[in-house]
Parts: sequence; C-alpha cells; structure tokens
Amino acid sequence: MNTSKKIVLAEDNSILALLLKYKLEKEGYTLLMAKDGKEAIELIELHNPEIILTDIMMPFVSGLEVISYVRNKLNLTTPIIVFSSSGQEEMVLNAFNIGATDFMSKPFSPNELIIRIKRLLFNKTIFDKTW
Amino acid sequence: MNLNTSGLIIDLIQYFFIAFTFSAILSYLILAIISIFENRHYMKKNSFVNYKDILSSTISPSISIIAPAYNETLNIVENVRSLLSNHYVNYDVIIVNDGSKDDSLEKLIKAYDLVKIDYVINNQIPTKPLREGVFKSTNPAFEKLIVVDKENGGKADALNTGLNISPNKYVACIDVDCLLLEESLLKMIKPFLETTDSKVIAAGGVIRIANSCIIKDGKLLDVNLPTNMLVRGQILEYLRAFLLGRMAWSKLNGLLVISGAFGLFDKKIAIEVGGYDTKTVGEDMEIIVRMRRHMEEQKIKYKVAYIPDPLCWTEAPDNYKIFISQRNRWTRGTIETLKKHKKIGFNPKYKSLGIISYPYWLIYERLAPIIEVTGVLYFIFLIINNAVKWDYAFAFLVLAYLFTVLFSIITIITEELTYHQYKKKGIGLQLITTAFLEPFINHPFILYANIKGNFDYYFNKDIKWGEMVRKGMNKASD
Amino acid sequence: MVNLFYYIVEYFKYSPKIIQLLWASSVVFTLIIIGLSIYLNHIRIRLRAKERIKAVYQKKYEADLIEYLYSGNGVDEISKEQQIIIDHLSNCAKSSLKRKIIISTLLKLKDEISGEIADAIQKLYCQTGLVNYASYKLKSKKWDVIAKGIKELAQFEIKDALNDVIEHIDHPKREVRKEIQMYLVKLFRFEGLEFLNILTNQLSEWDQIQLLEILQKFENQHIPDITKWLESSNNSVVSFSLKLAKIYNQYEAKDHIINLLNHSSQEIRIESINVLSHFGDIDSLIILKSDFNQRSIEEQVIIFKMMEDINEVSDIPFLLEHINNMNFDIKVSVTKILKKLKNSEANDSRFITTDIEYSEKTSLIKAS
Repeated sequence: MNTSKKIVLAEDNSILALLLKYKLEKEGYTLLMAKDGKEAIELIELHNPEIILTDIMMPFVSGLEVISYVRNKLNLTTPIIVFSSSGQEEMVLNAFNIGATDFMSKPFSPNELIIRIKRLLFNKTIFDKTW
Repeated sequence: MNLNTSGLIIDLIQYFFIAFTFSAILSYLILAIISIFENRHYMKKNSFVNYKDILSSTISPSISIIAPAYNETLNIVENVRSLLSNHYVNYDVIIVNDGSKDDSLEKLIKAYDLVKIDYVINNQIPTKPLREGVFKSTNPAFEKLIVVDKENGGKADALNTGLNISPNKYVACIDVDCLLLEESLLKMIKPFLETTDSKVIAAGGVIRIANSCIIKDGKLLDVNLPTNMLVRGQILEYLRAFLLGRMAWSKLNGLLVISGAFGLFDKKIAIEVGGYDTKTVGEDMEIIVRMRRHMEEQKIKYKVAYIPDPLCWTEAPDNYKIFISQRNRWTRGTIETLKKHKKIGFNPKYKSLGIISYPYWLIYERLAPIIEVTGVLYFIFLIINNAVKWDYAFAFLVLAYLFTVLFSIITIITEELTYHQYKKKGIGLQLITTAFLEPFINHPFILYANIKGNFDYYFNKDIKWGEMVRKGMNKASD
Repeated sequence: MVNLFYYIVEYFKYSPKIIQLLWASSVVFTLIIIGLSIYLNHIRIRLRAKERIKAVYQKKYEADLIEYLYSGNGVDEISKEQQIIIDHLSNCAKSSLKRKIIISTLLKLKDEISGEIADAIQKLYCQTGLVNYASYKLKSKKWDVIAKGIKELAQFEIKDALNDVIEHIDHPKREVRKEIQMYLVKLFRFEGLEFLNILTNQLSEWDQIQLLEILQKFENQHIPDITKWLESSNNSVVSFSLKLAKIYNQYEAKDHIINLLNHSSQEIRIESINVLSHFGDIDSLIILKSDFNQRSIEEQVIIFKMMEDINEVSDIPFLLEHINNMNFDIKVSVTKILKKLKNSEANDSRFITTDIEYSEKTSLIKAS
C-alpha cells in the first residue's frame, strides 16, 4: 500500500493555493492547507509532513519564522521550499541561512515546482535509506 | 446716553460673536468642499496604482520605524511582532525603551533572542544617555529589529535617539501601540518618490480609532463601532478632521500637524532642524512647523504630504479623566508651538505658512474655544441682566446646532463613499445618533479641557505628560 | 394643535427678516439632514450587498478558472468543458461588477504563476471578449478610464492594442503617460524604453522603480546601449540609466559614467559614484581623490564608503589626513579602512604612532 506523501502548503493567495492543491493532488500527494504561518506550524506539528511549501510574506508569523521554528524548535529535517514575490538577494540568503532547502521566486512555474518536489523527496528517501 | 451706549456695546459684542461663528462656519465649509474634491481626485488617482511592484524592489528607499516605549510591558511583544510583519522590503524597526520601570526590555530580549551589541551612535541630536544599551536579534528572522534601552527623557527625546541611530534615509515615527496595516510603509513612501517638482519633507497619515475592533495577531480582523459614546464622538471628530479638514490643508500645502501616532519624515531634514523639541508637549506639531519654516527660510520648494488611507489604528481614551488630560495636553502643545514660532504669524516672508496656516490655527484652533466659552459666559451675563433677545438667540442656537449635525452627517457620507470602514449593519444609524449627541457629550468637555489647558499653561508649570492606561489591544474573545 | 400652528405662522410672519432667515435656514437644514440620512442608509445597504455578491462570485470564478485550466485536451484546441466556461464568463462580463471580479481573479493567479498556465489565462482573457472592454476604454474622454484601460491591456500583454495605446502618448495627464510607458516596457522590454530618447517630463523615482521591476522579471535580456541615455539632457533619464548600469553591470559604459562625475546635479554625481563603486573601478577612485576637496560633503561620504571596498596601503596618508574629519560617517569609514589595512600590514611601523583616538575608535566600532 502506497501511503501518499503529505505536503503542508502555507499560502494566503486563495486561488494560487487552490491551483497548487489541484495540481499536487493530481500527482498523488495529500495537501494540508494553511493561510498563514501560525496555521502552518499547527499543521506541521500535527501531521509531520514529508515536505513543507511556504510563502515568505505572510501575515503575522512570516515564512522565515516558520522555517526557523521547524528547524530549531521542532528539529525536523523536512525539506522546505520557500516562495516569495520578493526576489531580493538578502531575503533568499536569509531563508537559506535559517534552513530552507529550496527557493522559488514568484512568478514561478507550477510544473517546475513539482519537479523540484519530486527531486527533494527522492533525495530524502535515499538519505533516509543510507542512515 | 448711558443706556444707549450700553445697548450699543451689547449689540456690538453680539455681532462680534455672530460674525466669528459665521466666519468659522465659512472656513469649515471651504475646507470641506476642497477636501471633497481632493478625496475624489485621490481615489481616482489611486484606483489603479500597483503597490506590489515597489514591494519587492531593491531600490526602494530605506525606512526606519521608530517607536518610543514607556512601560508598555502588556503589549510590547505583540506590537513589535506586528511592526516586523510590514510588507515592505527595506526597513528596520527601532524600539526605544525610554527608561521603562517595568520588564519591557526583559520580555523583548526573551521573545526575540536579543543580545547586546556595540554600536557607535552618531549623536547629531543631544539626548539622554543609554541605559542597558543597544540590542539586536541572533535569529535572522528578526534581523530588522533594533532595541535601544536608555534613560528616561520623554517621547521627544526617545524619538531623537531613534533619529540618531537610524541608518536609513526616512524615518517613520509612531506610537508603539499603533497597529500599522501591512501596506502602510508602501503607501506613505509614495509621495516622497512621486513628487518631482518639490521636495517632500514629511508625510502624515490618518489615525483610525481601534476601540472595540478585533485585532488578533497584529492584524485588523474586524471593525466595530464601540458602545462608549465618548469614543463614538471622537470617531466622528477624527473623521471630520481627517476627511474634511486635513485633506484640504494638504492640497493647499498648509498642513501644520502630522499625527504623532504615525508620520514619515526625511531624516536628514529632521536632524538638520535639530530633531524633536524635548521641552514641549506638542512635539509632533512643533517639528512640522519648524521643518516647514526651515524650508521656507532656505527658499527650497517643498511639500508636506498626506495620505488619507486608513493605515494606523490606535486606542482612544474611553473615560473622561484621560480624555480631558489628553485634550489638555494638545491645547498646551498648540499654545507652545504657536508661541515658539510667532515670528511667522502674518509674516509674508513665510508665504502661505505665515499668511494662511498660522493665522487659521491661531484663530480657529487656539482662540476659538476661548471665544466660545467667553460667548457662553457673556450669554449668561445677558440672561442675568435680562438683556437677551430670546427670539434671536434661540433661532441662532438652533441653526448652529443643526449646522454641526449636518456637517457630521456629510462627514459620515464622505467616509462611506471613500473608505467605508464601518461595514456592519446598524452602524449607520448609530453614527447619525452620535452626530446629534456629540455637541452635548464631547464638546463641553473639550472646551473645559481647553480652558484648563490654557490655565495650566500659564499658571501650572509642573504638569507633565499624563499616563495612558494600557488596556491591551487583544481584547478579542475567540 | 391648530392654534399652535397658527401661532407659529403668525410669529414667523411678523418677525424681523433676520429671524425669518434663520428659521428658514433651520428648516432647510433639517430637510437636508433627513434626506442625507436616508441616502446614507441607502449607500450602506448597497455597499453591503455589493460585498456579499463579491465574495460569492470571487469563489465561483476561482473555481471556474481552475476548472478551465484543467479541462483542456490539447495545446490549441478548446475542449467542450472549456467552451462552456468561456461562454459563461463572456456572459457574466456584461455586468461591470462581475467583469471586475473576473479580471481581478485572473490577475490574482496570473501574477504568481509563469509558464503555460499564465499563457492560458491570457488566452482566456481574449476568448471571453474581456479584452474588448479594455480596448473600448481607450476611446473614453476621461483620463482615468483611459489609464485603467491601458493598464489592463498591459497586465494581459495585449500587443495588438499597441497602435491604440500609442495614440495617447502625448496625453496631458501624467498618469496616462505613465501607464503607456509601463505598457511599452512590459510588452517590449528594453525596446519599449525607446521613449526615453525623447522624454521631456521628469521620470519620478516611483516611475523608475516600477519600470525597473518590470524589466527585472525578464531573464536573459539583451541590454541596449545606454550611453545615449547617460548623455540625455533630462536628468531623470540619466538617473534611470545609471540604475540600469548598476543592475545590469554595464561596465562598457564606464567612461560615460566617469564623465558624469562632473555633472551639474549633485544627485547625479552621487549616483554615478555609487555605480562606479559597485563596479569596483579604481580609475574613477583616482579621479575622485584628485579633486576630493572640491566635492560636497555628501559626495565625500560616498567616496569614503567606496574606499571601504577599494583600498591599498598607499592610501594611508590620505586617510590619516581625514581621521579627524568633522563628519561622523567619514570618521567611521576612515577608521574601518585603516583597521582593515592594519590587519594586513601588521608590522608596518607607520602604525606605531597612531593617536589615541584612533585606537579607542577601533575598539568601539562593531557597528551593524
């Protein structure tokens, strides 16, 4: 039985969230949706997903804080992909410094996102198997 | 002969009061009409502005938000978090802990992983010295935050420390308990970047009253009309002032006041004029007058901009004691500022600043309450002496009252047609009722506070800022 | 009751003119108040209804759009399901409120996504006939309507509208001209910047930022020759091309920028120094040091900032000259540079005789 992989998506743009949900569910993933950083953290704690996708600029608890929380407080090695409309170098560096795994600047291609998700999950499986 | 002259004097005095009232009404009407046109123009212009582009730009100018804090332990962590989540790329948040006697600093250090750093401060404006020092966060998610702990010196002194520390080109001086909406910096910086024919030295925003509004996690979730009549009256008052007053002054480039709760300044010029004046309680008005005066004296074409969008939400006093204390302070601030800069009054060298703005503030803001109270006393005097022409007086009073109500209702309609913040059912009727009641509920106390302010200014030099009791913004029940 | 009424009428008839006027005004005011209160109620009801409708339709159109995007069956064919949605949306577009919601829904997604989905959304915009409403706006007499039309056509990248858009190029209103500029740049990228050649009005900082943001979204661009813009008589055009030079690393324009070091506007001089500093160009630094004292204090500050990245041991005498400069920023820069140089020249005897102030400063400076 192939249990489908869980993805937590934190995105406050409702139609983008809908699109990604549709596309990713079509690929066989289970989607857990959050509208802001706080909801995202709750979902992550509850479901321990295989991958986390988060926008950076979200109300109140930003994407950067989500990453920081996951890496430092929950001590998880879950791959995190960050996307943001801010293409500023500093933002990217910050995200990586805190522990993001990959970064996509908006506007991005959903197809590319799927490729990256698959690659990250594949690498993670190899990684887990070796250890 | 005696009876005739006394009759003549009585008539003259009455004509004076009537003339003054009509001139005041006329000025309100002119300002209202100009404001309405300006509001329409602004909404048209802004209906297709895309703020998103500048949101992510690397060349957008750097802004420092400076927020002085004194004994704010109840909300400080929440407020700072909300300031850190503003949708602007190039900014930092400088919290100046002005010698608080509580544990504000400890709370901040814990919540944001702060450590003390060495920081050389360019003391362009003399301020009280540092206490615990300058702190920054070890967590990159909070790298925008700088906390400064210093000896107590008052709000103006704390703001000056912020000016000294800020490495950025513009500074936003705010009250730490103000809720700034996410796009506030974007919208406020626009006039600085858009104006090509003059230099924008400062931009002021609109203050909206947050009482009874639901604010959760630093976001404005729900706008409600508070039940407290005093606050409702203030809501109307603020709407009148901002929608039908300041909009016109901004068009005439005569804006003399930028709310201390939220204003954006060109840092270089603010420092050039010497920063905020620590000896006045009306430092927000005083610095604008001084900056304007400076630009007039330098003969540089300049502008003080104004953004009418609701960007800043704050608590208004809901009991009479604090309300009167606040208005008392505002009165003293106005008197101090006008007195300090009396050189520009009616002085053609200062163009519209001296010929229109200053005289208007002097007559209709500073002197008007005194004239009004004198009028009331005079009226009582006439009653005692049986010299009142009742039919005139009565007709006149009724008309004046109806005018006030009408003006408030026009304000409410303007608000509906522009920003429509009060969407819930029933609020329309409640606002209209407030318009009818406000002249009795708020106005007498404003007059009283004003007179007391005058009295305190001239005879009571020991009075200070007064405390605002923090209730906590997160009253929202889940 | 009737007596009271007569009494009032009599009273009014025999009162002096002023009192008549006052009471008449009061009555007028009262009537206006009642009228406005009714109007206010009406506005509020209408606005509330609008909000409700908007929320409902927004959800619906979001679902429609997603369905459209995923019921396609080929690259150019329109499937049956898609045609249904297209027809439905065309119909809805007749109402201006619904049209606004549809367009904002399309843009809400299009702004975040690139690639085939973005193209599909664009096609949908044309297929539903929404594009016609925008083109129609260009014929309006009102400036804000024209500007909105141009903006929409730019957002959906409708190249066909170019001729209609260009017609307004000399429109008196700045907002219209600005939308045209953004349209040109959005659709034609760097070629769209040709208008800079003849621009006489000032490009504000806001305009420049927006144009640059549009350009930065495109990858692998062929940057045109910016030298003619660097020599423009329009200072805002010069300023804009300096920004282009910096962002796109136009080293080839170096000499032209060096010429700008003597431009009449201080802002341009400062911007030029910034660009040259970004390039790390040593030649310009030599020039700047040679006429250093003739430059304004703001320029001097920037020059020292430049030297924080480009410095060598031979600069030390020059730096020591300014170690006690009145300006705080210069002092900080100088001390930073000397410290850097000291660390690389630990045994240099010249440092033994530095003054006390210097060593105090270095221990203090760990600025952010």
